[in-house]
Amino acid sequence: MNNISVTDLRLKFPGEDALVFKDLSFSVQSGEKVLMLGPSGCGKSTLLQVLSGIIPNSIELPMKATSIQLPDSWGFVFQDPDTQFCMTYVDEELAFVLENLQVQREEMAPRIEEVLKRVDLHLIDAHTPINEMSQGMKQRLALASVLLLEPDVLFLDEPSALLDPEGTQQIWTSIKEATADKTVIIVEHKIDLIADWVDRVVLFNDHGVILADGSPADIFANFQEELKRYGIWYPGVWEEYKTSDAFQLMMLNRQVVSSQEKIHIEDFHGYRGLVEKISAKHATVQAGDWITIVGENGSGKSTLLLSLMQLLRTNGVYEVNGVAIVWKKKKRQLPKGLSLVFQNPELQFVTNSITEELTVSLHGMPKADADMYAKELMRLFNLPDSVSRHPYQLSTGQKRRLSVATALTPSTDILLLDEPTFGQDARNTFAILEKLEQLRTKGMTILMVTHDTEIVENFATAVWTVVDGVVHTANGVGGAKSV
Amino acid sequence: MQRVFNWFTPKRETWLFRVNPALKFIVFFAFLIITLVNQSLPFAISQAILYGILFYIFSGYSLKKLLLLSIPLVISFLSTGLTMLLFGKGETVLWQWGLLKISEESIQHALLLGSKSLSFGFVGFTFILTIQPVLFFYAMMQQFRLPSKYAYSFIAAFRLIPAVTEELQIRRNALKVRNIQFSKGFRGIYERLQSYTVPLFAQSIRRAQRIAVAMEAKQYQMGAARTYYYPTRYTGVDMVFLLVMICSLSSAFLLSIYR
Repeated sequence: MNNISVTDLRLKFPGEDALVFKDLSFSVQSGEKVLMLGPSGCGKSTLLQVLSGIIPNSIELPMKATSIQLPDSWGFVFQDPDTQFCMTYVDEELAFVLENLQVQREEMAPRIEEVLKRVDLHLIDAHTPINEMSQGMKQRLALASVLLLEPDVLFLDEPSALLDPEGTQQIWTSIKEATADKTVIIVEHKIDLIADWVDRVVLFNDHGVILADGSPADIFANFQEELKRYGIWYPGVWEEYKTSDAFQLMMLNRQVVSSQEKIHIEDFHGYRGLVEKISAKHATVQAGDWITIVGENGSGKSTLLLSLMQLLRTNGVYEVNGVAIVWKKKKRQLPKGLSLVFQNPELQFVTNSITEELTVSLHGMPKADADMYAKELMRLFNLPDSVSRHPYQLSTGQKRRLSVATALTPSTDILLLDEPTFGQDARNTFAILEKLEQLRTKGMTILMVTHDTEIVENFATAVWTVVDGVVHTANGVGGAKSV
Repeated sequence: MQRVFNWFTPKRETWLFRVNPALKFIVFFAFLIITLVNQSLPFAISQAILYGILFYIFSGYSLKKLLLLSIPLVISFLSTGLTMLLFGKGETVLWQWGLLKISEESIQHALLLGSKSLSFGFVGFTFILTIQPVLFFYAMMQQFRLPSKYAYSFIAAFRLIPAVTEELQIRRNALKVRNIQFSKGFRGIYERLQSYTVPLFAQSIRRAQRIAVAMEAKQYQMGAARTYYYPTRYTGVDMVFLLVMICSLSSAFLLSIYR
């Protein structure tokens, strides 16, 4: 095993003026567990790719360094579980790594079996389609394929950012078990499970400069202000947020907005093809309600939203604002007043600029009014007021806020959201929640799928639980003081 | 999407499944070239019958599925045949009405072209129905030295099909939710094309690049020696396959000469 180090690193993205790193020096002792923290876009992930040699070997970027010492053997786990595999089945994917290492075929099956055990993936048959696994299982498969390389050093680039709490727990448990004797370098925002496991925390500022480098206890005690500003989910961030003035003020004003019934459901069923995927016996939603929809992966939460939005075939009694909704196959218009925000913001953008994006659905509104309306939304959601900026060029947090803003036309009074805070850093999460609360107090009704128990406890006025395609409602759960 | 893949599970695995997929590809390819250059009508018809036997009897799929797959074959037979029949050149005119003209030669040509298109359909479907894509590329790498970078690009692309169809579905729903109304006529087609292709391409390119980096991170190296999880080699079945194919093609040829 050897140390990893880089001295006086300079690196720049083509087409951008500023350097990502200017004379950065950094080193890691063998066997160390290092956590790198910093605001998004500060270059942590880029540094991880430089230290592994992915830059410049696989991704060509102009860079130079006085000296650089790369590890002999390393493995890399990426953020997105869906873009790490090239094969269709679990065993084939692991075999791909073994083939690269020129392991003889006879040795492959036992090694595949052994490594799956090491990451706690207990499959009945290793020939399981990767697509049928949960995101958490996919990340453990990614870890397994990396462990087959027998690496001295492990690079982890936000491996739990796109996982639900259960998946997050599992991946970190597996990582801790499998890497006891290895050097591990981690970039991650969600750190409550690893904060006391790592030996060393390195904090970067916006300009790719190391602000602090020390033990976890030291960093978490002395740099809270920075951690908060950079949106890092450090241990206790929710507790701290709950004591903040902004939150306290919001909670003071949580009276019942109205008792007007917005949605009424009686014996409602939603279908994909011919198969019933979701059903609800009885449920009502009132104006100003904030309903969180919880449940395990694949239980039917997203299907419920699609059914309410009439994007799937439904039957049963379903009223929106007192109007009965009847499913028609060739329907041009979706139910009035309802809007849905999907998980992937990019797939919802339809125009080439932020302003257009916010005005395109305002059919029949005079242009001047529409522009005023867009300006108002941009202010409300802290979006850059730029005429030429393409929606794809926004940061992840901005994209998410824009996707929520696009759903708000003057006629929208019920907002359906599919995990709007998923994968977001702490600052963006609180920003989105505050905007939604602001809308709610003005009479907006919110139905939101989430995995985050803190959101359920602190913001929901009611919780619906979806179990195996059945909606269970129980009003008055959680921290809602008003209902 | 999984349903589409499941549809391609045969009722029973015939001997054609056990033939080395790369060999099957080369043989079928060579035979189709013969079909293409052949100008004799009797030979073309007997070839179509031969490949029809392969398709209907030895593909191992239920008759219902085979009949369903026959629909496009019949359509292509009729469309190529009819065009040739009605507009083909010929001296011995049998029937004429304006531009439409049927002659003895045009009937001959129609049947020739129709049989060829049938042969292509039968062979193509038989091949697709009796191989597993992954094994096919493994065999191409092992038996025919196909560079692994091409094989893995196809395999990885195959894996991405479900993701793309799912995104297409989401995009369609998102456009509905955003209440996007397209113009009428050609402009509308252009708008629709643009609003689907741009985001789907952006996503696909990004995904492809990430997968490529992930593959290299798993120490995949272009051109490096590698071992194979699925060994594909020649077996007795391949010999039988070769013999059967050559014998039946030769007898089809002889039959067409000595009628």
